[in-house]
Amino acid sequence: MNIGTRKILDRSFTALGVTSIVLMAMALLAVLVPIVNGGIKAVFFQATIEHRKLMYNEFGRGDADELERQIRQAESIREPLFAILANFDAELETMDDVSLKRSYRSKYNQVRNHLHDLLGPLPGDTEPLLLRFQYGKTRWAQAEEVLHDLLFVTKWDSSNPTVMAKKYFVPRVDDFQGTALAPLFAYVETHLDEMLLPQRTFYWGFLTDKALDAHIFGGISAEIRGTFFLAIGAMLFAFPLGVIAAIYFTEYAKDNFLTSMLRSANSTLAGVPSIVFGLFGLAFFINTLKVSESKSVLAGSLTLAIMILPTIIRAAEEAILSVPKTYREASLGLGATKWRTIVTVILPAALPGIMTGGIISLGRAAGETAPIIFTAAVSVGATVGLADVFSQPTPALSWNIYNLASEHEAANEIRHVQYGMVLALISIVLLLNMSAILLRARISKKLKG
Amino acid sequence: MAQSRVGDSSTSGAFTVSDGRRRVQKITKIFGEGLLFTIASFVALVVLFIFYFVARDAIPFFQLRGFTEFFTSTGWYPADEPGEFGALAIIYGSVMVTIGSALIAVPLGIAASICLSDVLPFSVRQYAKPVIEMLAAIPSVAYGFFALVIFAPLLQNFGGPIMMWAWWLLAGPFLILAVIVLSDILSSGEINHGKRSRKRVLLNIFFGAIAIGFLYWVGNVLSAIQIMTGTNALNVSIILSFMALPTIVSVAEDSLQAVGRELREGSYALGATRAETIVKTILPAASSGILAAVILGIMRALGETMVVWMASGNSSHIPDPWYNYLDSIRTLTATIAGDMGEADQVTGSARYHVLFAMGLLLLIFSFASNLISERIVVRQRKILSGQ
Repeated sequence: MNIGTRKILDRSFTALGVTSIVLMAMALLAVLVPIVNGGIKAVFFQATIEHRKLMYNEFGRGDADELERQIRQAESIREPLFAILANFDAELETMDDVSLKRSYRSKYNQVRNHLHDLLGPLPGDTEPLLLRFQYGKTRWAQAEEVLHDLLFVTKWDSSNPTVMAKKYFVPRVDDFQGTALAPLFAYVETHLDEMLLPQRTFYWGFLTDKALDAHIFGGISAEIRGTFFLAIGAMLFAFPLGVIAAIYFTEYAKDNFLTSMLRSANSTLAGVPSIVFGLFGLAFFINTLKVSESKSVLAGSLTLAIMILPTIIRAAEEAILSVPKTYREASLGLGATKWRTIVTVILPAALPGIMTGGIISLGRAAGETAPIIFTAAVSVGATVGLADVFSQPTPALSWNIYNLASEHEAANEIRHVQYGMVLALISIVLLLNMSAILLRARISKKLKG
Repeated sequence: MAQSRVGDSSTSGAFTVSDGRRRVQKITKIFGEGLLFTIASFVALVVLFIFYFVARDAIPFFQLRGFTEFFTSTGWYPADEPGEFGALAIIYGSVMVTIGSALIAVPLGIAASICLSDVLPFSVRQYAKPVIEMLAAIPSVAYGFFALVIFAPLLQNFGGPIMMWAWWLLAGPFLILAVIVLSDILSSGEINHGKRSRKRVLLNIFFGAIAIGFLYWVGNVLSAIQIMTGTNALNVSIILSFMALPTIVSVAEDSLQAVGRELREGSYALGATRAETIVKTILPAASSGILAAVILGIMRALGETMVVWMASGNSSHIPDPWYNYLDSIRTLTATIAGDMGEADQVTGSARYHVLFAMGLLLLIFSFASNLISERIVVRQRKILSGQ
């Protein structure tokens, strides 16, 4: 081959390698950036007066006098709107044409529904039972979407059967031209911000509040707590076991068939699909051992513990093996027994490395979903206290992200909660991992001297 | 020893040990080591237990329904009475996303591992490693959320243009390279130097035109495709490839590092470029380790639950045509996760046991692939050190 071509091939080979790394970095960014962006909006957003009302009524947070003043201010702007509604009610009553009246009535109900969404219960509505209907939109971004729905009717153009139907919008005011309701749309459009009084808010309670009405309002404290209990519980079981097993493998195991079988078992366990751990947890811990009546934090922790055990063993083995031989020899030379050497010399020296593995496993236990589906997780549940861990299932971040995104009845309206949860989970896991990376960097520096 | 007993026992005790104490020490040692062994063998016990308990609940299904329906039928109606339990379409779905993600992750992962071990300077490598670790650390449910909420709508609305750009960016450079290499090889027969370079330029232009036409044509075909649903096999394959990448890169890099300096330096000394050294010398030497990496990566994709559950569409049918990655599919893992909620109430029914049968299938796959990859790694280590 031509030497030039060979050079080009060599360069492009390098380029290929670098591109693959860049692609991976881009993939990471593509996942993280939208999630961080959406997650920040869960705690930092334009909150309406309805949000402040909710906070005061449900959590007793906020300044009562200031809130009272704002409510009065908003009410004064809402008054004319309610007057228009009353006028139109009266007009409907006097209408003679029954079919016309019925058609207006159904369209009018849609308008009222949208207004209810925006502002909360209107005069003449019965007091709703569900919390989600007792307040208007708490977030200004959502209020703007509802405003759009109020002002325009969405229609689908499916005249061309070969392509997918196209969306288009018709102003809703056209339906009510010439009636008393017609001025309402322009009024809402111009005065919405005065009716809802949006303010930049930092809702720190998102992390500490309990969820209200199936996560429509409120925070994610129950999930964070559940994740915490599950992960810590798994560590309590897996960490001591893993470290002891690692000590056996590195210090005592002879190089024979039995040991290689045990090692093989360890890597097999590491490769078992996570959902199979879930099946095993259900069949063994719950159905056979009956550690609890049904799902419980304990059963979930045990299942997770089994899952992270191989990782801990491997990390601990590596850490113990990386302790310089001279430490061991010095200790043995001073007359210490083998066990004493391990406990007083080797383990302290290997501890940072062992901790690194432990921290990474903790993150893995916190983030894993499949093993806890059948063993510990419920979608809605009370915040679990320390006394309940043996008998109660718990909501957990990982499971509730799935549940809210895929199964919740109003999944599209609570995207901000889902983003917030994902960001919380990712932050927990990545912070743990980063501290592990930093710890490891310090160890390698120290070992180099 | 008798003398030492006469002396002050508190000072001499550290150096001399009585028979009784020695016996006690021996017993403690045996007992302690036994305890350590018991705890260490706990792992093996767990593996046995997993096999036993999954199989225990899986076997009743095969006793009830036999093997033929499960492996050959595509009808999946577990809720009906008496119900149909054909898992062929589900197994096919699993295979499909696994192959799809492998097609993306394997070339990318091998390229990245080569880059990490042989191309990048150490200072850059320091920053590349955490990227890979972070990709591995992000929980699967977060990937699933990304696939469902962010990527699926994107794919549904702009799927055609996205695929077109991906094609241009990926296939473009490769085709240009192919043109250069092809014309170089075809013109190498000429002995006269001037004639040869003239012929090469002509061939470059000729093949270049063909390549650009081909690029453009495929790009147009791709951009015209309308994607009916964003939750499809392509989406899942792409996201799963992100998740398999870290495994592939780290294992493959280890095996590339295991190839010694001697081979590399020998190759350079013979005048090979870096690319030639890697492709012709290092990759063959590390091939078995890379194979192990690929197997482990594939296993990661096959065993993944949350992403496929959230973003595969969960429709149990074989896509039409069979290679249609833009269709919704359903996988083994997603079926176990999704159907257990209802099947749990009827413990003991075929509906409950069939999920364990699927779990057993996954377990056997993972066990076999683990065993194979382990053997491969051990053999490579032996060969490399034995020489």
